[in-house]
Amino acid sequence: MKPIHLNLASRPYRDYRPVYAAVVVLSLLTAFLMLNNVETYYRYVRETKTTRAEIAQLEQQTNKERELEGQARQRLQGLDLAHLDQQTKFINAKLAERSFSWSRLLDELESILADDVRLLSVAPQFDKSGRVTLNLDFHGKSGDGMITTINRMNADPQFEGAFPSSEVQIEGGYAFTISVQYLPESGTVARAEALR
Amino acid sequence: MIWREKRILLIILGVLLLGNVAFFLTYRIQYQSRLDEMDDRLAQAEGQLAQSKKARTSAEQSLLAYRRVEKDVQSVLNDHWSTQPRRLTLFIGEVKRLAEASNAVPKAIAFDRTESTANATAKPGSRKKDDVGAKEVGIAFTVSATYEQARRMINLFELSQQFVIIDRISLAEGEENKLTFSLRLKTIFREDAVPAASNRS
Repeated sequence: MKPIHLNLASRPYRDYRPVYAAVVVLSLLTAFLMLNNVETYYRYVRETKTTRAEIAQLEQQTNKERELEGQARQRLQGLDLAHLDQQTKFINAKLAERSFSWSRLLDELESILADDVRLLSVAPQFDKSGRVTLNLDFHGKSGDGMITTINRMNADPQFEGAFPSSEVQIEGGYAFTISVQYLPESGTVARAEALR
Repeated sequence: MIWREKRILLIILGVLLLGNVAFFLTYRIQYQSRLDEMDDRLAQAEGQLAQSKKARTSAEQSLLAYRRVEKDVQSVLNDHWSTQPRRLTLFIGEVKRLAEASNAVPKAIAFDRTESTANATAKPGSRKKDDVGAKEVGIAFTVSATYEQARRMINLFELSQQFVIIDRISLAEGEENKLTFSLRLKTIFREDAVPAASNRS
């Protein structure tokens, strides 16, 4: 005789244990990771708090500096630099002319002139780079006066590039013109070296 | 079948786990590199600040330099050169006084005046642009003097408190061991209304 099994279940029996096991494992793993992550986050926030504050402060300062720079540049743009440059160059050129020592030039010319050569006129020209070109008129008693004068200028470090413009035979000798670069600083340097 | 029935719970748990794993991998595993990155950002911010400070200082120094040069220019124009009505007679008086001090008084003096431009080769039409707000006045005279007197006169003009420029010197043989000494002097005057290098705006 077959035994009768009493089944009062409204639904068929299913074994959910693997699911619950999986849920428990997943939950534990998630909880562990979450706790770890929360701790990591707070540690990161705590450890970088000073650095982040420093960065924020630096960025604020940088913005302020950029603002000040912009203001300065804007003011510079409103200025007439070209005109000031012209004025400065003009004034510097005139100051160079004013500070030009004629006494020293005449001393120098006296030292190089031959006995039979006399100076008639001197007119310096100042260029923008500060170089001085002299236009010199001389009177020489002999025909060698001009050559001697150029040779003596070439031997003197304060004169450079002596070049004759003209030589005319006149009553009692020769009139000649020489243009030459005058370098007063070279004389100062040469004298300082000689003293050493 | 049983997995499908609990899928919502499993999906939620799976998503949470994945999120935590991602966070863990990003922040926990690369924790040190994150800190290093923050240090790098700090260094970068410091660098940017230094650069900005340098740029600001440079701009402000340019501005200061401009102001300083402008002040110097105005000082020369106003104090040393001054205007023709204020300094011309002083200049002429100084020339005469120094000539007398050298015992070589000129019998005749010639005066001339030219407008000064920054560019000497400027065309007349472009004068406005090159105008530096100054004019040049010249004095030329001839005296009979010994070479020593001429040298003394030159030296006195060089040492003068007035802004005197010796422009040209000419010498010629004169009478009684004297030279005919011609001298051209010049000075600069500020124009009455100076076109100062001020703001364009």
